[in-house]
Amino acid sequence: MTAIALRMRRSFDLKNRRNRQRLIANTIGLFILVFMIFPVYWMVATAFKPPRDILRFDPKWIPSPFTLDNFDDAVHRPYFWDNVKNSVIIVGVVVVLSLVVGFLAALAIARFSFYGRRAFIVVIIGVQMIPATALIIPLYILLARANQVDRLTGVIITYLTFVLPFTVWTLRGFIMGIPRDLEEAAMVDGCTRFGAFMRILLPLIAPGLVATSVFAFVLAWNEFIFAYVLLSSQEHQTLTVWLASFTTSRGTAYGPLMAAATLTSLPVVIFFALVQRKVAFGLTAGAVRG
Amino acid sequence: MSVAPRAATSAADLGLSDRRRSRGLRAGIRDNVTPYLLLLPTIAVLVGVLAWPLYWLGRISFEHFGLEELIAHKGTWTGLDNYREILGNREFWHIVLRTVVFTVVNVGLTMLFSTLIALLLVRMGRFMRVALLVGLVWVWATPVVVAITIWQWMVDFQFGVFNWAITKLHIANLVHYNWFDNSLTGFAVITAVVVWGAIPFAAITIYAGLSQVPQELVEAAEVDGARPWQVFRRVTFPLVKPIFVIITSLSIIWDFQVFNQVWIMLENRPSPDYYLLSVFAFVSSFRVSQYGLGAAISVVMVLLMLSVSFVYVRQMIQISEVDQ
Amino acid sequence: MNLRYVVAAALAVAVAAGAPTAGARTDGADAAKATTLTVWLMTDAQGPDWAAVVSAANRAFEAAHPDANVKVEIQTWGDHLTKLDAALAGGRAPDVIELGNTETTKYMAAGALANITSSKARFPNNKTWLKALTGSCTYQARLFCVPYYAGARAVIYRKDHYGAVGMRKAPTTLDQFVSYGKKVMARHKGDSNYSALYFPGKYWYAGMAFVYDYGGAIARFKKGKWVGTLNSPQAIAGLTKLKATVRALSRANRSGTEANQWTVFSQGHVGADIANGWEWGLISDPKIGDPALAPVLGAFPMPSHKKGKFMPTFLGGSDLAIPASSSNRALAVDWIRAYTATPMMRQLTSAAGVIPNTTSLVGINASKPTLAPFARAATSSWFVPTAPNWVNVENAQVLQNMLAEIFTGRRTIKSAADRASAQITQILNSR
Repeated sequence: MTAIALRMRRSFDLKNRRNRQRLIANTIGLFILVFMIFPVYWMVATAFKPPRDILRFDPKWIPSPFTLDNFDDAVHRPYFWDNVKNSVIIVGVVVVLSLVVGFLAALAIARFSFYGRRAFIVVIIGVQMIPATALIIPLYILLARANQVDRLTGVIITYLTFVLPFTVWTLRGFIMGIPRDLEEAAMVDGCTRFGAFMRILLPLIAPGLVATSVFAFVLAWNEFIFAYVLLSSQEHQTLTVWLASFTTSRGTAYGPLMAAATLTSLPVVIFFALVQRKVAFGLTAGAVRG
Repeated sequence: MSVAPRAATSAADLGLSDRRRSRGLRAGIRDNVTPYLLLLPTIAVLVGVLAWPLYWLGRISFEHFGLEELIAHKGTWTGLDNYREILGNREFWHIVLRTVVFTVVNVGLTMLFSTLIALLLVRMGRFMRVALLVGLVWVWATPVVVAITIWQWMVDFQFGVFNWAITKLHIANLVHYNWFDNSLTGFAVITAVVVWGAIPFAAITIYAGLSQVPQELVEAAEVDGARPWQVFRRVTFPLVKPIFVIITSLSIIWDFQVFNQVWIMLENRPSPDYYLLSVFAFVSSFRVSQYGLGAAISVVMVLLMLSVSFVYVRQMIQISEVDQ
Repeated sequence: MNLRYVVAAALAVAVAAGAPTAGARTDGADAAKATTLTVWLMTDAQGPDWAAVVSAANRAFEAAHPDANVKVEIQTWGDHLTKLDAALAGGRAPDVIELGNTETTKYMAAGALANITSSKARFPNNKTWLKALTGSCTYQARLFCVPYYAGARAVIYRKDHYGAVGMRKAPTTLDQFVSYGKKVMARHKGDSNYSALYFPGKYWYAGMAFVYDYGGAIARFKKGKWVGTLNSPQAIAGLTKLKATVRALSRANRSGTEANQWTVFSQGHVGADIANGWEWGLISDPKIGDPALAPVLGAFPMPSHKKGKFMPTFLGGSDLAIPASSSNRALAVDWIRAYTATPMMRQLTSAAGVIPNTTSLVGINASKPTLAPFARAATSSWFVPTAPNWVNVENAQVLQNMLAEIFTGRRTIKSAADRASAQITQILNSR
């Protein structure tokens, strides 16, 4: 066989192999999905079970009888909607600011070389090694002095501090995966440096932006101890702190808790479902050679 | 902290600086200032929020700082006493060893499963891929307290679904089995929870990195006769190495500091053989109310992590310079 | 790109976020009031019946003090001390705080609570306060908090299971109870999950009751030092009796805790358990438990090994304290007076099924069959050693581990007790 014919044959085999691979991957993927999602399924199922069926010697796999009482109970608990509003505000600001500020800093350390770059990288890594619980008291003292206790802004700035090093570090990795040639090609065509960053680089690292924004979202949405310590009034607290109020000295109301948890986990899932198409944004064909 | 870029890696830098020079001195100054401007907001936040707390933490680690001192806002200087107490305590070194082993196991399992899942995601059909991605994110989005409660139920002595299933499948008799009786099996459950919770982020991020690998390169290699493993090693991995390194380094840092899973799983009262370093630090500060001791433990934790990762971090910085 | 707009939007949101919370500090109507009294109560106070008592107290207080308003903030049991520590460090402690009665000693010893000895006479029912709760509020002969409410444990049992073996009324001695229990176990041989007396291994509140019944104690203060006394002959006698009882009558997890025990009860595999009064309602609750059990439930105080006496029961509960840093001490005292006033206490007791802070109101519970046995049990009680470091013993799980070792047979009683006593001595005496 000629080389060309061999290649064509291999190409054809490749397509068959691709389809087979896809089938196998889909099957294995289904198994993985079932295993990973089982605890989440249990949470959602529990939310629909009457309290009597929640803990049983012989487990009930499917909620029957099916009830919406737990959701009703959860939503009517005091301060639910206030806490939803607070969580949404905090998350919105933290996600946007961390992406913007983090991207700029990641640009600096990934694309420029300057005095102090290595020190900054060490700081970024080092800061993440500080155990968060050690910072509870000193952070409270600092924010109290700045009159930021019981304020959403105090919590926002705290979460930004936790999220930024991570965002900078991760976006740097994604930026490093994009060759400089693309930006340089754009600049040769008359684009400013900054323009090249915004128009060429930013879209190409969309997957990294999605990953870091979901991370920031989840952290800001689900974080407990700092929200609990820094926010005192009930009307200023977040949903996660509200979840903790389901536990009294007489035990926990598991049905309503699981209903509440199901509700609080949905926004993240919806957010991701909206942006997930951006996760896999590969380089378009021809961009490298063009 | 050297200033000049290394000769071997500065080809691109040199090329760029030529262009810079050709655009004039003004542009040169602007570029010299630009990185600092880009960094300014981040540095402002980090320094503004963390500088004083870190100083406070460092200071009280050298003091006797109990509840009375907390209320009076003033501690008594005792020099290296707290550090001597920690480092001279055999229990402490057991805890360090336990934390290290825990970290290695968790990071290993997380990276292994996440990479496999990411590779699977690339090859899946669209519908299954979205389903798995959304499923993973839902796992990620579940509040930690709730997730741990569910896992507690799954392995409960009386009501555990997992125990029930294993017994029914005749793999082992786990009726009335208390997983937390023995810290080894207890940590097996805790590891399962940690890895389960860590996989979504790692898998999705590695998948995002994999998706940036140009398909033409992969196809070209396959058409040239390379087996899948070779394609991975020669084509795919080098391109996603930065992401890989980042996820691994983050996993190490996070798993070393695991707190919630141990704390909540054991009903806020873990027995000493379940202590990890972060749990030990918390108990010293807030339970025993020896905040100075707790601060010293935290400082030792950071120093341990920094020194262990020193070589690794240097390598990571060098990798980035080679790639540039 | 639209980056500028995004940044602008984020900043706008941030400003908007700061604004309402800034405004909330000086709320319209309250801006005219001079002081806000901050009160920290636990999540228990959120229940509708309980919250009604709090509102009534607030109304009474605000009527008497027109220039003050009360802000109640609900705290969670798991982390409220962490938050308190941060608030103390930051100088923002509340004016009134609810503390568990085992949590107070540490804060009293550190000077975190205000000395209210001079106001004692002004608190309602102060002459008839429950002794055990008052003990948890006293340090070096001074009063630092006010008793709030208590809870006691008694035996909840199934009249059908125990009635079938001939037990018609409460047993008068421990041995009598155990012998009935053994008969019940024999009758339910076929059920591998059944316990005549459900007793999880780490249930130290119930386990230590045996120690105190035989005259032992967890620790005693001798010659200026705390000494762990679980290895004294009396304590060992108590532990021996405990081990025999649990071995004969219980199939519960030997190293588990008593959380969820009412769920196990409601599923029909339990003849009796040692429980708080409010668990009775949960067992037969139509939503959580099994309402079919309601007619067959009964309760009696756990009998002592000595005829005619009750085994001492652990008296749990809460106190109300005023942090020393509060600048509204007089108002705080008045609020506590309003909240613990007799009519409030009466309402709280009926609504929440707790034991009131005063023996003068014990009668309320005496008239209710589901609460009377617990009120009776509370007349014979024990409490943990009032050492500032006691909470460290709880955190190190010394008692729980000792009991688990004994029940699983990992150690002999003597060896487990020796080890626990040594640990307790060391922990209670450390600086």
